[in-house]
Amino acid sequence: MASSIESYINKMVSVVTSDGRIIVGTLKGFDQTINLILDESHERVYSGGQGVEQVILGLYIIRGDNIAVIGEIDDDTDQGLDFQNIKAEPLNSVVH
Amino acid sequence: MLPLSLLRTAVNHPMLVELKNGETYNGHLVSCDNWMNINLREVICTSRDGDRFWRMPECYVRGSTIKYLRIPDEVIDMVKEDVMQKSKGRGEVRGRGGRGGRGRGKENKRMKIVEIRM
Repeated sequence: MASSIESYINKMVSVVTSDGRIIVGTLKGFDQTINLILDESHERVYSGGQGVEQVILGLYIIRGDNIAVIGEIDDDTDQGLDFQNIKAEPLNSVVH
Repeated sequence: MLPLSLLRTAVNHPMLVELKNGETYNGHLVSCDNWMNINLREVICTSRDGDRFWRMPECYVRGSTIKYLRIPDEVIDMVKEDVMQKSKGRGEVRGRGGRGGRGRGKENKRMKIVEIRM
């Protein structure tokens, strides 16, 4: 199971947390409870009215309880995105 | 690298901890355990809405209530040395010892490590 996360190590990943935030950073490590280490991370704050705001966060340990989705980011595609002009409603938090 | 190894390395460093209820705690890490329970000192607690603050000399946070921890960037470079060394040692003992390794005395195990390093 966890070996699929192994393949994301040292890659740029996007993490969706259960409070609806999107955090992007380099995956440096994880454990059996899916606690993650994200290096050089930033939050992408989406809003309906204006472009995506990127907030620098730095080195983060995210507790596994709080993680909904982890996905690898394709650097080339990501660099081609025009965040100033991407408008989207922010995600809601997970409903338990 | 394991998240808890990084956390252990961050002892005595400043950090920001956000709890699942949205409160944040800023302080220096005194200690932590395998459940991510942590001890902080010289703490400033900020309410969920960010407009109320409490200062306290120390606090203990149960690991299961944590959402995330923000740690100074340089800490990740400090893990490399000691964790790598530890896991290397452990791996070698396990790898070589394999079957029956447990029953043997300490001296035997130590000799094996020396052997491999040479």
